[in-house]
Amino acid sequence: MQASGQSPTPLPVSAPRVAVLDSAAHVGSVSAWKRARTSIIKARWPLFALIILTFMLFLALFGPSIAPKDPNRNSLIERLMPPFQVNEETGRMEFLLGTDALGRDIYSRIIYGARISIFVGVAAVIVGGFVGTLAGLIAGYYGGVIDDVIMRLADIQLAFPFILLTIMVLVVLGAGVGNLIIVLAIGQWVTYARIVRGTTISQREKEYVEAARCLGASSLRIIAVQIFPNVVAPLTVIASFNVASVILTEASLSFLGLGVPPTVPTWGGILAESRDQLLGGSWWLAVFPGVAIMLTVLSLNILGDWLRDFLDPRLRDR
Amino acid sequence: MARTRFLIVVVLALLAFVLPASAQTPDDTTLVIAQSVDVGALEPALVGSRAESNIFGHVFGTLYEITETGVLSPYLATGYTISEDGTEWTFTLNEGLTCHDGEALTAEDVAYTFTRAADPANAFTGNTVGFVLPSAGYVDARADSELEVTIVTDRAQSESLRLGLLSEVYIHCKDYYEATDVATVAENPIGSGTYRFVEWVRDDYVLIEKVEGFTLRDAVFNQIYWRVIPEASTRVAELIAGNVDVIANVPPDQVDAVNNSGVAMVQGVAGTRRMYVGFQFGEAFADAPGYEPIQNTDVRVALQYAVDVPTICATLLGTECTRAASMVNDPNSNPNLTPYPYDPAEAERLLDEAGYPRGDNGIRFEITMMGPRGRYLNDANVVQALAQYLTDVGVQTTVDIRDWSSDYLPLVRAKEIGPLFFLGTGGSTWSALYDMADLSAPDAGTNYTNWANEEWFSLWDQTAGLDPAAESAVKDQMLEVFYNDPPWLLLYFQPDFYGVSDRLNWQARRDEKIVMYGATLNP
Amino acid sequence: MWIYIARRLAQSIIVILGVTVLAFLTLHLAGDPTYLYVSERASEEEITDARQRLGFDRPLGEQYLRYIGGLLQGDFGTSLRARKPAIDLVLERLPATLELTFFALILSLTLAIPIGIISAMRRGTAVDGGVMLLAMLGQSIPGFWLGLMLVLFVGLQLRFLPISGHVPFLQPLLDGDINTALTNLPQTIRHLILPGITVGVFSLSRNARLVRSSMLEVLSLDYIQTARSKGLPERAVVLRHALRNALIPIVTLVGLEFGFLLSGVVIAETIFSWPGVGRLVFNAINQRDIPLVQTAVVLFSFMFVGLNLIVDLIYAQLDPRIRLN
Repeated sequence: MQASGQSPTPLPVSAPRVAVLDSAAHVGSVSAWKRARTSIIKARWPLFALIILTFMLFLALFGPSIAPKDPNRNSLIERLMPPFQVNEETGRMEFLLGTDALGRDIYSRIIYGARISIFVGVAAVIVGGFVGTLAGLIAGYYGGVIDDVIMRLADIQLAFPFILLTIMVLVVLGAGVGNLIIVLAIGQWVTYARIVRGTTISQREKEYVEAARCLGASSLRIIAVQIFPNVVAPLTVIASFNVASVILTEASLSFLGLGVPPTVPTWGGILAESRDQLLGGSWWLAVFPGVAIMLTVLSLNILGDWLRDFLDPRLRDR
Repeated sequence: MARTRFLIVVVLALLAFVLPASAQTPDDTTLVIAQSVDVGALEPALVGSRAESNIFGHVFGTLYEITETGVLSPYLATGYTISEDGTEWTFTLNEGLTCHDGEALTAEDVAYTFTRAADPANAFTGNTVGFVLPSAGYVDARADSELEVTIVTDRAQSESLRLGLLSEVYIHCKDYYEATDVATVAENPIGSGTYRFVEWVRDDYVLIEKVEGFTLRDAVFNQIYWRVIPEASTRVAELIAGNVDVIANVPPDQVDAVNNSGVAMVQGVAGTRRMYVGFQFGEAFADAPGYEPIQNTDVRVALQYAVDVPTICATLLGTECTRAASMVNDPNSNPNLTPYPYDPAEAERLLDEAGYPRGDNGIRFEITMMGPRGRYLNDANVVQALAQYLTDVGVQTTVDIRDWSSDYLPLVRAKEIGPLFFLGTGGSTWSALYDMADLSAPDAGTNYTNWANEEWFSLWDQTAGLDPAAESAVKDQMLEVFYNDPPWLLLYFQPDFYGVSDRLNWQARRDEKIVMYGATLNP
Repeated sequence: MWIYIARRLAQSIIVILGVTVLAFLTLHLAGDPTYLYVSERASEEEITDARQRLGFDRPLGEQYLRYIGGLLQGDFGTSLRARKPAIDLVLERLPATLELTFFALILSLTLAIPIGIISAMRRGTAVDGGVMLLAMLGQSIPGFWLGLMLVLFVGLQLRFLPISGHVPFLQPLLDGDINTALTNLPQTIRHLILPGITVGVFSLSRNARLVRSSMLEVLSLDYIQTARSKGLPERAVVLRHALRNALIPIVTLVGLEFGFLLSGVVIAETIFSWPGVGRLVFNAINQRDIPLVQTAVVLFSFMFVGLNLIVDLIYAQLDPRIRLN
């Protein structure tokens, strides 16, 4: 099942973008955007994926202003109401997607949930990505003992069953959004570190790097200017897959009781809360958050796939 | 190559479909019960949860036994006498008792059971050592003759209370337990009750089988499987599928599914577990927001009116209920006390009078309510609902929900919960004082609120050695004190939902114990 | 080759040591561990005595060395709740989890390979698109949701597969009781199907996509064109020439796969009441049964590292460039 952090598919080698002159790079990237646009429109699925993701992002950013109700306001009298019911007095649909076991509006909770789930996903990937990239760059560039140490640390973490690590850290640190992000980030960094390290190693032997060194450029400059830009492409691909995987992992953790506290709505949490109502026929409790998760994760996967194909020079002719 | 492999898998899979399910199925002589947790160990002195006590109740005998109706009836013992000063209780045992390995069960074994449990070198935790023995004032046990055993305590105590407590000790023989190491004994118990232990597959099931010739109790089924199914939906599904006869803890929202299945019904019983929100009086929380207001009796009384307990019962607990008027289960409560009604207007008025008016933002004061998740029926939801009720009368309540076993329970034990906290403690049907023993002393381990009402505790000391009528009068007085200076936000007695297969004729008990002696097959 | 083996072995040892350090630290991160070993009503004096007796008042480094020493002698500590050697508990439950993990792995590989190949061969058609969409979906479903749906629909409505219970196969096999093992096998498989699907769907989907993309890459290589131009039928081209190379990435993943599956197993074991190590350790963590947690962690890591070592050695055998690196 999903243990976040490990790359779901192997990555092809991507062609280096030589960032010698700023203007040249700029020119290069303009045509790249155009190519991207054409490609994505031609392959229809990624376009849908992009639309869905933009919508989810919109929900995440502007959710609180759209959501009709307080997601945490509970009202026992209104519990377990089915969706799409028109309130006789007001003539409107009071609870668009129904209410949950505490009478909270599912629609509002899903909107707020978008915010937290996506925030947690993105934050975990950014933190993990940052740490991992740094580790990978350093390990790849300097090699030797530093490389060994970092790689051993990575191995040690991989050897530790991820879910056990997560549970242990959460039990010790306590539940909460911040700790959750930390834990999920810990699960991520190894993937980034490995890929970045691989790319860095293959880049550092190139002539232009030699040239820069001869010209007296410091290691930091070389890493930042020469090597890092080449690492960005594979990173974005992994990042998109990993956001998907983190969202799924958060759902699993909520199921095990380790996610965010019940007052913080996340898609995984709402889905997990539905488990005692399933046999009772309250299908909307599981279907709506489930669909939200699946659509988002699916879109991220499709987009990631497209990104990988798009950035792979060998497939460019297809 | 790949195809042949594929075909083999398909054939095996088809074979698998054709066969009926095997593991542990119910039949005419086999009963299958599903609980949500496994036993930790089959060590009679280590009772960690109902999972253990349910099984031990069948495998081991006790001195007396509490029946469904709350009566204490003799079991391994035939009677008892109490010394003049009330500190020594001498039980007389039945003749001819044996343990399942053939060893004769005499007074020596009973004494050994007690001393072994209390021995600090064994470091037993759990109900027996942590609650029963200290509450009964246990000091020592000795065999006076072959069939007479004396339990020595440090004080006189209410007769029914002490008898009930001592009846929670599971009696076993000395030879086997003395000669065998702790680890082996924890997996291979030798009992003294109606059923003998057969097999334990950890986290899967425990199998016990009827002891032929055991005369003290009747048992119908030859074999009982106690299965472990942690996920509630799976438990219910197995009940409906006919693979399990009795399940505990049916989620309220799935009760209808069971009742409509045509193969099983849900028995909802009024449980004895007292659910409450405690007000923390301990100094440790002096700086917490909301601490000061709740030190004020008038505030605590006001808050009683703020919550709608019957609605919580009806919606979140799937049952009709009357709010608890005291901490004592019926029929032992004070009949003159009526439960606080749901009257938010009254709550608001009393809070105003107490000196906590609504501010410009509508808030009187802020407070945090701590609660567990995954221990009590719908606990997390009940806590959130309660918080909403309090917030609605102007007491802005933040909810802090923790996982039960890893987080909340240690805090409870250390009394580091508050200013408000949601909790439930087990009660009884046979003794008011048992229910009140939570607050037996200001520093009692179970006085989680650190309540120190002088009147209550001086009255408690008076209850030792009274005859039942006098004891009842003092008890009523105490409960009135409790009512007027409440350390608890009185809520409800937790209902229990048991799913019972239609093939079984069996009545669930109120005290959370699953006892199968009386179970028979429906014709 | 030997240098490579030696190097990998040394690395593996370091990793296992690192894991033990991590596992050891968890005991102390959770606070003074003495409280876990004494009765709730212990007095201050009893607690201090216990602390001395158990050695928790010594410096951390010394405690760690003592812990490692114990491990090397096979003493993994005693479970607090069960009062039994932790290693015995873990080994007792391991076969059940291995049955589940291997079943999921076999399910995933036996289905993923043909699916991936077919998809690659029919690239661009509706079959390819449909199958790949399903595979994407398989990677997008939260595992516990799938498990619960299986319980409700296959277990309850259709009622032809069991949703809980376990019939042991691996344990009797390991005990040498071949007869029981074989008699149990059909029932074991029957009980394995639903939890196995729950655990395996994600990796099945991922592997199917992997096989497909790997196959496509290999099929575009020159030597394949050569084979085609020689007039070989497509089927032979794919199965005999392309498959071996296309499977190399899968081999690498099998090692990591084991680790993922182990993670997913906790959820399946909870939903289907499978008496495996996942649930054992999950409960142990919640109950702060530290010795049991440590033991399980060290054991898993050992298996994981060992498996990866073997996989790497196989890989090195297949691809000489690796060992020369």
